[in-house]
Amino acid sequence: MKNLRHAAEYAGARFALALCDRTDARRALALAERMADAWFALDFKRRRVAVSNILASGLETKWHRALRLARASYRHMARVIVESLKASTVFADDAVRRSMIETNIHPAAMEALTDPHRGVIVVSGHIGNWEIAARALSFIKPVVGVTRPMNNPLVENLIQQRKPWGRFTLTPKHDANAVRFLETLARGKILALLVDQHAPDMKYMIPFFGRPAATHASAALLHLVCGAPLCFGYCLRAGMMKFRLVALEPIAVKPSGKRKEDVETILRRISAELEKAIRLAPDQYLWAHRRWRQ
Amino acid sequence: MNDNDILIRLRHLMKQSSQAKVDWEAVRTDSTIASLGFDSLTILDLVYDIQQEFRVEFEAEKLAGVRTVGDLIAFLKSCMGGAPGEKSAPRC
Repeated sequence: MKNLRHAAEYAGARFALALCDRTDARRALALAERMADAWFALDFKRRRVAVSNILASGLETKWHRALRLARASYRHMARVIVESLKASTVFADDAVRRSMIETNIHPAAMEALTDPHRGVIVVSGHIGNWEIAARALSFIKPVVGVTRPMNNPLVENLIQQRKPWGRFTLTPKHDANAVRFLETLARGKILALLVDQHAPDMKYMIPFFGRPAATHASAALLHLVCGAPLCFGYCLRAGMMKFRLVALEPIAVKPSGKRKEDVETILRRISAELEKAIRLAPDQYLWAHRRWRQ
Repeated sequence: MNDNDILIRLRHLMKQSSQAKVDWEAVRTDSTIASLGFDSLTILDLVYDIQQEFRVEFEAEKLAGVRTVGDLIAFLKSCMGGAPGEKSAPRC
């Protein structure tokens, strides 16, 4: 049964990719939005999670308004996929890429990013289009994105074939090579992490919209042990294939010997910045993830 | 501090950071770090603890070539220029 489901998902993904490749961005985005609406109507479980998350965040207090925002979030995620696929072709042209992305990078962050010998940790959440952000940053220095493999191995293979692009590559979150992340930074690359997924170890409960959420500590620990600049950034959609890339001043915390406190200090700052970014465009956030799991 | 002293302290730190079921007394210098339950994420807790325990400051990126406990001991010895307990942390 599981194999059958995986095969069906794979076939669907192949079909969607082929369709996306053969249509222009405007049509592909319009089609993706219709598919997202259908998905939203059918995916009762995730829809309920998204609505309850929005209500829990306090960004909406009325159920029908939260439902509307959740639908917009589904549409946004469908757009993220199409934009990311289209980016691999349109980004090849420097002029087109520059016209697509407006940047607002803090000078200290830019200094770190443009130093070829300095590794940089870039963190973000599932806000805006993180794929476009990684691809855009890879024109400054190579980016290694830390990912969790998908549950469906067939779709995962398909993504692996399509996703890595030039100076933007991927590495699994739990790499058997224990020093992979350290090597990446030692080679002066950007290590990019999305830090807003539920952390099963529940070691660090960090406020997210005022409620404790189990948060991954890896970015904070990497900064503490390497001293590599830690930048929070995000990339919001500003129009049809137009984006605004923002990178804040790097976070700098010296190890005090109290690991838990040091990590929490950093994670609280990241979480606060993520909240601010979400408030700018709540419809561009992935609300369907169970962030406040018990 | 000799290799055995460092090994004993490392065993203690590893036991705290690793979630793998390992016979820590059986850990020797040829044990690989990966075999002790450390991957690219879980190693970070250990590195932090090592930096604090041995009062050494090092660029963690320099650990890139470390594969075994013996490699780690050799690396730490190369970092510990001063006597343990010195106020200023040695740096390598």
